[in-house]
Amino acid sequence: MKISDIFSFAFGAIRLRKLRAGLTTLGVVIGIAAIVALLSITQGLQTTISDQLQSGFATDTLIVSTQRGFGMSPGAIVAAESDFELLVNYTQIIDEIEDVDMSVAVIRKLGYIKSGEREFMLAIVGVDFAKYADVYSRTFVAEDGDISLSPENETVVVGKRVSDPWENGTAFTNVDNIVEITWTNASTLPPKNETYSGQVAAVLKEIGGFGFGGPSDTNIYIPITRAQSFFGTDECDTIIVQLENDDSATIESVSEAIEEAFGGQVNVISSTAVLDTVSTIFSTVELFLTGIAAISLLVAGIGIMNIMIVSLMERTREIGILKALGMKNRTVLSIFLSEAVIVGLMGAAVGVASGWVLANVVARVFTGGGFMSAGNQAAINAGMTITPVLTPTVILGAFAFGLLISVIFALYPAWRASRLRPVDALRYE
Amino acid sequence: MKKLMRMATPIVETVKLRKTYMLGKVPVEALQGVNLKVQRGDFLAILGPSGSGKSTLLNMIGALDKPTSGKVFIEGVDASTLSDNALADLRQEIGFVFQFFNLIPRLTARGNVELTMTIPGLGRDRRRKRAEELLETVGLSDRMNHKPAELSGGERQRVAIARALANNPKFLLMDEPTGNIDSKTAKEIVELVKKLNRDKGVTIIVVTHDQQIALQTRRTVQMIDGLIVEEKVN
Ligand SMILES: Nc1ncnc2c1ncn2[C@@H]1O[C@H](COP(=O)(O)OP(=O)(O)OP(=O)(O)O)[C@@H](O)[C@H]1O
Ligand SMILES: [Mg+2]
Repeated sequence: MKISDIFSFAFGAIRLRKLRAGLTTLGVVIGIAAIVALLSITQGLQTTISDQLQSGFATDTLIVSTQRGFGMSPGAIVAAESDFELLVNYTQIIDEIEDVDMSVAVIRKLGYIKSGEREFMLAIVGVDFAKYADVYSRTFVAEDGDISLSPENETVVVGKRVSDPWENGTAFTNVDNIVEITWTNASTLPPKNETYSGQVAAVLKEIGGFGFGGPSDTNIYIPITRAQSFFGTDECDTIIVQLENDDSATIESVSEAIEEAFGGQVNVISSTAVLDTVSTIFSTVELFLTGIAAISLLVAGIGIMNIMIVSLMERTREIGILKALGMKNRTVLSIFLSEAVIVGLMGAAVGVASGWVLANVVARVFTGGGFMSAGNQAAINAGMTITPVLTPTVILGAFAFGLLISVIFALYPAWRASRLRPVDALRYE
Repeated sequence: MKKLMRMATPIVETVKLRKTYMLGKVPVEALQGVNLKVQRGDFLAILGPSGSGKSTLLNMIGALDKPTSGKVFIEGVDASTLSDNALADLRQEIGFVFQFFNLIPRLTARGNVELTMTIPGLGRDRRRKRAEELLETVGLSDRMNHKPAELSGGERQRVAIARALANNPKFLLMDEPTGNIDSKTAKEIVELVKKLNRDKGVTIIVVTHDQQIALQTRRTVQMIDGLIVEEKVN
């Protein structure tokens, strides 16, 4: 029997039981759609994040933090609370280490900025403007105004989103504006609000991304000395280390030297390590999600098997007729497998399409605006855009998997159909 | 000489054919050693009371079932030695008409006839043309696109006959072809079958209760309890 005839016969059988075939297909559609949606979202997210990390992160920098600080390395989890404090002037120790170009201390506290009637919550970052601009020469750049390298005490540099939080040109604050900067000191009882007035000297050009480690669109920057007096501390959160080069040998030796210099009480993270960690996390998440989606396909497969066994019983007589007419076992097998192939292909096609639609809908929902408003106060958050990515591999994989599941689960019923003896099948009532 | 030998080889021959069904532990002897020869061009009726083994015999001859012992020769070839595949090929060359029509409900009359020809892989145009010719032969040219459910019993049986003839079978096996249709339609079917035998030389073996059919055949055999007890040439 010709393959085209086998397929058209199988197709006729499917068409006869539209509802049932539709429901069987739906199982495959849901499984494939889930896989495609999850994969394209995670891949999109991964692309977004690594792009943003790369743009906010120079490869020839290290970030030194206390073990209480942001822990990306395994050591951070085990470390107990220690009294060790990372001080602003430790940059001098680090600067002595070979292959270190320079280092810059960063103090970061959550606070408020008020301009006119409006107030935003954001991160207040204290840095040495000259050194910071040197390390992040691509991102710590003024769009408006000037970043003074020896700033006045009251100088403030604001991120693009702080100046223009609605992304429509309506400025919250601009160069030369006076802003009120507030920080709640929770270490005193009762907590006390500290406030001072600063003058916006520059607005950074748009960076995009999280500004992980480096500058961010949603931060404001004040001179390190001002931060020390304002926050009443010499302790900093991180020290950014600029290396002479980004060889992995340099990264390793400097990291070790810094850890040693502080008796193992600090974490040293290289940007490449962070990128690696992030991509490892993503692969794991991707694998996990795909696994879950795959289980739904497995369920769909069992549905296919179930329905095929039922339809096998209904069609026993038909199989008897076909065999009496001289159809070979393998042709009967092919007919039943073709039905599974048709269901699998249709399910995969509809599944890929609806998975893609789903991914885009989800991405749209989760890509919040740059800014969340709550009454008069509002928190600025980094606008993160997820663009789902649908690679040919995913499409092909989805088709292959849909087909594979359908065929595998149809194998047993089809085999049973093919083995029916003609007399028995014809006698079947 | 060769030609003579071929002439002498019966198209169907059964030798000591036995079939025992096991109903649980009770054996049912459906056939108890049937010897039968059918020559090319013959028109044979198998008569006998219900349960005498007529359908069982026909199923053996049609390669739908295997005997418990004894042999079935089709054109001198022992069917019991054939593989599943070879048996399927053999069935393509045998036309079977069932008592209950056994048409495929979702296919039209023409579709049912065509299906038979898709099995040996005949091309679309050729099988369509032949299906239409065959349906014309059985007098159904105006019912080609009807599905079995839209046809009368007699019409269904004619479709079944057209289908059985589609692959130019070596012989035609009919199991009570008029058992489920009224006597007037039965008469028409008998005429049709007779014409096929007379004009086209198709070898026909028909199982029937119907004396009307039996009288039209060349030869009848009588079965009782799984044995042929009487042979008669009309
Ligand atoms: N699959 C089977 N299992 C058990 N016994 C069977 C089976 N098929 C047939 N028989 C028995 O074999 C005997 C012969 O059956 P068969 O169908 O050949 O009779 P028949 O002559 O065709 O009868 P009818 O005229 O009623 O069609 C019967 O006694 C029947 O009960
Ligand atoms: Mg019978």
